[in-house]
Amino acid sequence: MTHLGGAESTLFWFAAPLSVLGALTLLFARKAVHAAMGMAMTMILLGIFYITEQAEFLGIIQIFVYSGAVMMLFLFVVMLVGVDSSDSLVETIRGQRVAGLLFGLALLALTISGVARTTFPSFIGLDKANASGNVSGLANLIFGKYVWSFEVTSALLITAAVGAMLLAHRERLRPKLSQADWSRRRIREGVNVAGLPVPGVYARHNAVDTPALLPDGSISELSVSRVLKARGQVVNTQTLTAATEEFEESTGDSTQEEGGQQ
Amino acid sequence: MNGPDYSYAPLLFFAGIGAAFAVFSVFAASIAGPKRYNRAKADAYECGIQPSPHAEGGGRVPIKYYLTAMLFIVFDIESVFLYPFAVSFDRMGLFALVEMVLFVVTVFIAYAYVWRRGGLEWD
Amino acid sequence: MAVAASSMHALAMNTDHPAADFSDTPWWLSLIKAVLLFVILLLNTLLVIWFERRVIGRMQQRPGPNRAGPFGLLQTLADGVKLALKEDVTPKNADKLMFIAAPIIAGAMAFVAFAIIPLSGSVWMFGHHTPLQLTDTPVAVLLVLAVAGVGVYGIVLAGWSSGSTYPLLGGLRSSAQVISYEIAMGLALVAVFLYAGSMSTSQIVLAQKGIWYCIPAFFSFIVYIITMVGETNRLPFDLAEGEGELTGGFHTEYSSLKFAMFFLGEYVNMFTVSALATTLFLGGWQAPPGIAAIGGGMFNGGWWGLLWFFIKLWLFMFFFVWLRGSLPRVRYDQFMRLGWKVLIPTTLVWVVAVAFIRAAQLGFLGDSKAWGGIPRATLIVIAVIAVIVLAIAWVWDTKQARKDNEVTAPPDEVNPFAGGHPVPPLPGQRLVEPVPAIAAAPAARSSVDNHSEEPRG
Repeated sequence: MTHLGGAESTLFWFAAPLSVLGALTLLFARKAVHAAMGMAMTMILLGIFYITEQAEFLGIIQIFVYSGAVMMLFLFVVMLVGVDSSDSLVETIRGQRVAGLLFGLALLALTISGVARTTFPSFIGLDKANASGNVSGLANLIFGKYVWSFEVTSALLITAAVGAMLLAHRERLRPKLSQADWSRRRIREGVNVAGLPVPGVYARHNAVDTPALLPDGSISELSVSRVLKARGQVVNTQTLTAATEEFEESTGDSTQEEGGQQ
Repeated sequence: MNGPDYSYAPLLFFAGIGAAFAVFSVFAASIAGPKRYNRAKADAYECGIQPSPHAEGGGRVPIKYYLTAMLFIVFDIESVFLYPFAVSFDRMGLFALVEMVLFVVTVFIAYAYVWRRGGLEWD
Repeated sequence: MAVAASSMHALAMNTDHPAADFSDTPWWLSLIKAVLLFVILLLNTLLVIWFERRVIGRMQQRPGPNRAGPFGLLQTLADGVKLALKEDVTPKNADKLMFIAAPIIAGAMAFVAFAIIPLSGSVWMFGHHTPLQLTDTPVAVLLVLAVAGVGVYGIVLAGWSSGSTYPLLGGLRSSAQVISYEIAMGLALVAVFLYAGSMSTSQIVLAQKGIWYCIPAFFSFIVYIITMVGETNRLPFDLAEGEGELTGGFHTEYSSLKFAMFFLGEYVNMFTVSALATTLFLGGWQAPPGIAAIGGGMFNGGWWGLLWFFIKLWLFMFFFVWLRGSLPRVRYDQFMRLGWKVLIPTTLVWVVAVAFIRAAQLGFLGDSKAWGGIPRATLIVIAVIAVIVLAIAWVWDTKQARKDNEVTAPPDEVNPFAGGHPVPPLPGQRLVEPVPAIAAAPAARSSVDNHSEEPRG
């Protein structure tokens, strides 16, 4: 099979430039998330290429594991950095670029020498390789010839899990308090037994940044979140009540009238 | 040579139709709808409070999710090995079963470790 | 001749390949089928949104939408048109490219997976004998999982690109939720593959001629049902859009048809996971037992298959609505605990157990037969599994009992003001007879004082 089939070549000429585009996006995109998405696109297209070569299981797994799982990890890692950050071109470690270039060239030389020395046995052909079905053929290899590497893979997976724990896990210093624990503690301490007061509701505004008013007209500090206070986002209630007071001045205090009289 | 008697072409047709529909809808929306500019509309929606200038923490993701994604990969790869095993188990015999149990038990060690250390707790 | 015979034999043994025969399906027929399937999915989505609102309405003692068209059937269409005429707002902090790409990914990816669902067996269509299934491959079921994995990008990107707090948190939550439940779902499917010996959907349906897999793989079925609700972000697992905490979740900043794409994606995903459940566990398009036997299977297959398939599919849709009508939302840590600490380990154990049961059935553990022709090995394996399950249940039960004993039993009599705050009595408890208020005030205070001074001794 030296010539591509009609549909296959059409697909190839359509998908190959796209996958190159994805790879270039990875290299040149300013935002890390765009770069990651370019890579994800290349991964998916690679899976499609595998499928057209009748390596169906491999192709689907390429999409399933690389695009679905590994790229999701990349995306999370990239997002750890934040939305607004883009690649900075300043070297943080001196000599980093030179070392990177050297190691890259060394890897390239290693790969080329490895590939050059490879000798292929004569091809047995796709029909024979896939005779018992693509998936079953692969299963026979995994649980036959390559069973040792398969078992070793599990050790690799353990390493991955342990490494992730070391990198990302934060040990809890004291036990986590559940809703019931908090409620019990409030009752026992006798402070804010019914929970903190809710934010105030005004005629023109009722979001969480408006403090509630106490009976004497002063604001309740407890009714707005500490975070909002620290950010200085708490609304000044004077502006909200001023309009009402103005209105009351011109029409008389409506709260004094009872019995629904207008 | 005999190709398989199924093909992936219909899948591409279907994906194409779906994608075309989605692209058409998204761009149709920007044409069909009214455009009345309003500065408050373009602000982030935060239920009525003054929107914070950036998403929380500069739009950063808690590191916790890294752990979840990594564990997802570990189990994903485990299940990927289970699929060919399941499909051709009929034709492989006891040896494959023993191999698979060994594999599952080994990966379970990693799982037990993560559990003991509290990596599966969420706040 | 001998070679041909052996290759024929190999082909007969080969369950990798789809059972559905697509050799008489020209490409233009595939295209027609693709368009038809797309239209069917869209119409079903329009219908199911109406159905959901009506059924939820009934469950809450109100009529639901009943104005647009007969029985309010056109309500969803009207809503769609209205959405299209709404302003398309892009927040100023948004990452424009990804903000547009996210709904496209979510909308497009939702459709792809449905292509491998067999709606029925082969029928005559435009002079060709073709299966009522768009396509099938040896890895068809994995394709659904792979597409679901790619679909998560839509959620993550929507959350991230909005440049706003709630969508970011909602997007992360949803994506963590989907990937967590995808593991349990993928593991649950392994039991089905073990029984069917294939991942091709038409082959799996064919393998359920004798018995539907919801019986031999009952635990997988239960796990799948739970995970499919988690995968589609539906109640009681719709934490990503917990209105009280995150407003709309990842699509908070979306409006107009971009929002409609997420909405459409959610409902098409519901159809896909339900259709997969039908195919893998409920015999796909096959008629229910009983009807299947009538007239030598005249109602089993052909165009009749569509009827059975859609009945089963819509039963799942009703189930989704029923859940929404009955259950409150769970808390996020509870949800993750269920996924990681309950579903994943139990499903793994279940898969190993099924592997042993299969090994016994296939005679890998010895061929001797016990009573009534049941292989002895099968009985032994099932007995061992039963003993292990009972042992685990017993250990858990004693642990729970010990925990219960640790909690000191409440006293029979309770003074409601002992702790300083009024406490209602527990069932079976008796209140200390209240003393008249004026006399009680000093008495209660002294009792409180006594109480607080006790530790000081």
